[in-house]
Amino acid sequence: MNEPETGAAAGESIPDIPTRIRTGLSAGFRTSIKIIKVSVPLYVAVTLLKGTPFLDLLGEVFAPVMGIFGLPGEAAFAFVAAFLLNLYAAIAVIVPLHLTPFQVTQCGLMMGVAHNLVVEGGVLSTTGARGGVLTLCRLVIACAAGLLLRGLWSLWESAASWAMAPPGHW
Amino acid sequence: MDVLLPALLGALKLSAKLILIIVPLVTLFEVLRYLPVFRRAGNVVEPMMRGVGLTRDAAIPLFTGIFLGIAYGAGIIIRVAQQKGLPARELFLMGLFLATCHSVIEDILIFVVIGGNGPAILGVRLGLAVFLTGLMARVWKPESEVPGIR
Repeated sequence: MNEPETGAAAGESIPDIPTRIRTGLSAGFRTSIKIIKVSVPLYVAVTLLKGTPFLDLLGEVFAPVMGIFGLPGEAAFAFVAAFLLNLYAAIAVIVPLHLTPFQVTQCGLMMGVAHNLVVEGGVLSTTGARGGVLTLCRLVIACAAGLLLRGLWSLWESAASWAMAPPGHW
Repeated sequence: MDVLLPALLGALKLSAKLILIIVPLVTLFEVLRYLPVFRRAGNVVEPMMRGVGLTRDAAIPLFTGIFLGIAYGAGIIIRVAQQKGLPARELFLMGLFLATCHSVIEDILIFVVIGGNGPAILGVRLGLAVFLTGLMARVWKPESEVPGIR
């Protein structure tokens, strides 16, 4: 094997393949534990709360905000899970809510930009960048991305309905 | 109880699905990430990075963040950023790009598993990241840039 480019990864030696597989599997295992610990309780909680006055009320309160992005009010709960915890937590909330494919895509997009804000804000500050500013940016960008996808989606839908319309409709 | 059991079953099924994606993905990444191809990739992406105001020094932390994510790639991002002494402008631009577009493989796959549209998510995030970072790179000019050079 050639000498690794110096500077690219200064001081990082290259482990052999079995070591890498072990590292990967153990990292995957740790993530799995994290997934189970977070998703199982949340999924069960949302399933049990679904249809109760509590979740309905929460949905009604957030319906105007979530509606901007084409989402039902209950999705606000998933956003809280995504912001404070991580995407696995958000997914555990989304699945029992039975959203449409567009709504799942919208959640994936917006939460993909803004999630795990507490931990990742800390990491971003350590690089010397302004962690607080970047976290605020992520929330703003998430909203912008959500509006963009909503717009693109309605364009797509109207284009599709024109294409589906019988000839002579216009 | 007849509500709890299906709920628990659904929760475990979802966890299993997510784990079946994550474990092979992380392992594959660990195996592949030392390949020389990825080290040389810096040359190929350099022109693209210039477009969003970044230099080669930011390539490794940027791509680590794009593929691995901010939390998981934190070690590499912080170490390289300090080693290379990236200027504040580049740190900000890199942070902005990564804020919009990070951990793309894992984050998108887990939403595809539950019924989302992967290309739509990736397209909007990548497009928005390039647009915003490119825009800010033009707003915040590098200090060394003498007026009239371009």
